[in-house]
Amino acid sequence: MSKLELVQTLTGHKGIVWNVSWHPQGKIFASCGEDKTIKLWSKEGQQWTIKTVLVDGHQRTIREVAWSPCGNYLASASFDATTAIWDKKSGQFECNATLEGHENEVKSVAWSPSGQLLATCGRDKSVWVWEVAGDDEYECESVLNAHHQDVKKVAWHPSLDILASASYDNSVKLYKEDPSDNDWSCIATLQSHESTVWSLTFDKTGERLATCSDDKTVKIWKEYKPDNQEGVIVTDRESVWKCVCTLSGFHTRCIYDITWCHHTGLLATACGDDIIRIFKESETSDPNAPTFDLVCTKLNAHTQDVNCVAWNPTGNKEMLSCSDDGEIKLWSYTE
Amino acid sequence: MASRFSGALQLTDLDDFITPSQECIKPVKIEKTKTKTGAKIKIGEDGYFDVSNGQEQKLQKVEITLADCLACSGCITSAESVLVTKQSQEELLRVFSERQYTDNKGVTRRVSLIVISLSPQPTLSLAARYKLSPEDATHKLAGYFKSLGADLVLDMTVAEDFSLMEAQQEFLQRYQNQQNDPNSKNLPMLASSCPGWVCYAEKTHGNFILPYISSTKSPQQIMGSLVKQHLSQARHLPAGELYHVTVMPCYDKKLEASREDFYNEMLSCHDVDCVITAIELEQMLESSGLHLGDVLGLELDSAWGEAGSGALRRHAGSGSGGFADHVFLHAAEQLFGESNAQLVYKNLRNPDFREVTLEKDGKEVLRFAIANGFRNIQNLVQKLKRGKSPYHYVEVMACPSGCLNGGAQVRPVVGESGRELVAQLEVLYNRLPLAVPAQSKMLRKLYAEWLGGKDSDKAKAMLHTAYHAVEKSDIALNIKW
Repeated sequence: MSKLELVQTLTGHKGIVWNVSWHPQGKIFASCGEDKTIKLWSKEGQQWTIKTVLVDGHQRTIREVAWSPCGNYLASASFDATTAIWDKKSGQFECNATLEGHENEVKSVAWSPSGQLLATCGRDKSVWVWEVAGDDEYECESVLNAHHQDVKKVAWHPSLDILASASYDNSVKLYKEDPSDNDWSCIATLQSHESTVWSLTFDKTGERLATCSDDKTVKIWKEYKPDNQEGVIVTDRESVWKCVCTLSGFHTRCIYDITWCHHTGLLATACGDDIIRIFKESETSDPNAPTFDLVCTKLNAHTQDVNCVAWNPTGNKEMLSCSDDGEIKLWSYTE
Repeated sequence: MASRFSGALQLTDLDDFITPSQECIKPVKIEKTKTKTGAKIKIGEDGYFDVSNGQEQKLQKVEITLADCLACSGCITSAESVLVTKQSQEELLRVFSERQYTDNKGVTRRVSLIVISLSPQPTLSLAARYKLSPEDATHKLAGYFKSLGADLVLDMTVAEDFSLMEAQQEFLQRYQNQQNDPNSKNLPMLASSCPGWVCYAEKTHGNFILPYISSTKSPQQIMGSLVKQHLSQARHLPAGELYHVTVMPCYDKKLEASREDFYNEMLSCHDVDCVITAIELEQMLESSGLHLGDVLGLELDSAWGEAGSGALRRHAGSGSGGFADHVFLHAAEQLFGESNAQLVYKNLRNPDFREVTLEKDGKEVLRFAIANGFRNIQNLVQKLKRGKSPYHYVEVMACPSGCLNGGAQVRPVVGESGRELVAQLEVLYNRLPLAVPAQSKMLRKLYAEWLGGKDSDKAKAMLHTAYHAVEKSDIALNIKW
């Protein structure tokens, strides 16, 4: 019997905790929230404790934090319209660059797999791609106005410079760079959700994408490349993404976050019904019409909306979650 | 429907469609009439009716004009639908047929003279679309507008010349001022002819960036002054009886024409009444089943007393009007005695950010750039904010590749990339006969006869404008999570 066991409840934030982000080595994580602080946590003996609190970086709620793949930089996206980049070149964490340009609330930030690019998105409906241009220098590579509503989340393909975004306009869009003028453009629009798409996550191959929505469903999308064996028609030599699976009837309220473990293949969701659910692909799953089983339902995981779930990147089946209830919880999954 | 405004404007919410959580904050004056309490209102198909005193009385609708939206930092209501009421093909055709229009004060005015001003970029866009030579396309467009009822179809060369001349002069002045006071905000001088960029700057960077923006009016607005102030006098017509239409490569130009700054209180009219774009012209032709090639061609008119007919011309430099090139060469000569300066642009991070420098005795004395597209505007603004801008002048345009790739140019056909089309338009642009402002007799004549000389108060009034920061007001209804 699969189960999700609570390892530790971590308190410290005042008010809503919006997001948690594991350091790539899985021994530190960062959290952020309504209290405008970022807290860095690590293990002391058996207990996770706050090691550092980063304050004064932002004037409003911090919505999301993200570690760079090298683990030396932390980016934070805030409702104050800025994205801050923190590092500890001086010995302790300091904000050494601020990305300005969004008109208002920044909702999400993500580093590309190479660590050379950053993406941000927000209420101004735009998605921005930034390039690391040198020491503490970031240049705007592109401003993408493909969505026509608030953009909730950005996520990078695990190995290629392909970016995905999820929006209040119910769609998901994918982008890549055009080498001829170094500008980015939208290469695919994924439409099927009937309400806001809150989050999205690639699987380890990058050929599948899972999205979660206010319409209470999770959808799995598969990439069909040009000249695919299945005979799916591809125009303009750009891959086509098709929704190959919809998980409905499991969630009773808006699904705020979804995360795909690149080691175990397990999908976890954070839901407005205070529940964390874990799905596993069936052994006999058909790649063109995959099936997923709900293997774990953690009732009352939090006392309010679960905002974020994150698998430990080392694949040790540890998971973090955070909530409107002000708490962060560390879980351990066993089959 | 996707917005047709430039990316810069989309970000400033100007194109925002009304969403449920947003409401217009424009204060509306309500004329109070004595009423008994408990008015009864009937909703009809064509409006709301007050039926409290036995008979149906149509209630006035609140109208929000484009100018309201431009001056407001609030909601914003669908500026695009506001535009439709004033600056649409339908409105244009209506004015052609009825020879009257209703101005933004609600006054209906007779039209005695309809003037069309053609800019090069949309004409080339239509030339490419209908596979015509630029000259042919110009003539066919003149013929088409005349067939609709236009009285004069003009090229804008002289307005472009004015804009370049004034920008060159303004740069010298700013350079001197900066030398005298290195802490002043004279340099870099930033080009002002792109309304998408200007509107973005006003709405988001306000007083920080506005002092850098050139006060020189864009060619469209100088043409507006020429037509409404000079031509109307020459023809002994009240300016309000002239209906002035410009043909432009982007929708943002409609916003520019609607600015309060370009409304003349004395003449009580706008300098440009309607802006029509290449893509709208294509639609107009298509909806009347016409191919531009089949239209009877006519010569352009000449309105400024020149011999012969007008013609479309290009200026040296970028397809956006060549501002950087003209200002650079003039400054090189006037400030450093380099009468033969070479313009060798170097691409920076992408082909839409290019810079050019002038060296004197092994020392760099001028550094100019062309920054096209919103991403490069961003990097420029951030550099300025951090005090890291090395430039003396920047030609800033909101559209990638500049005005030849304006947001309302005809779209590429299926199978053709946007870039191929722009490359094609660049080739066409470079084949146009060259106009050199410094050598234009017409320009000298107009400076003398119309403006009473260069640097006169009238020249300043007619050829320069001002910018205004738009204060942000964060109303609760605007905040969305």
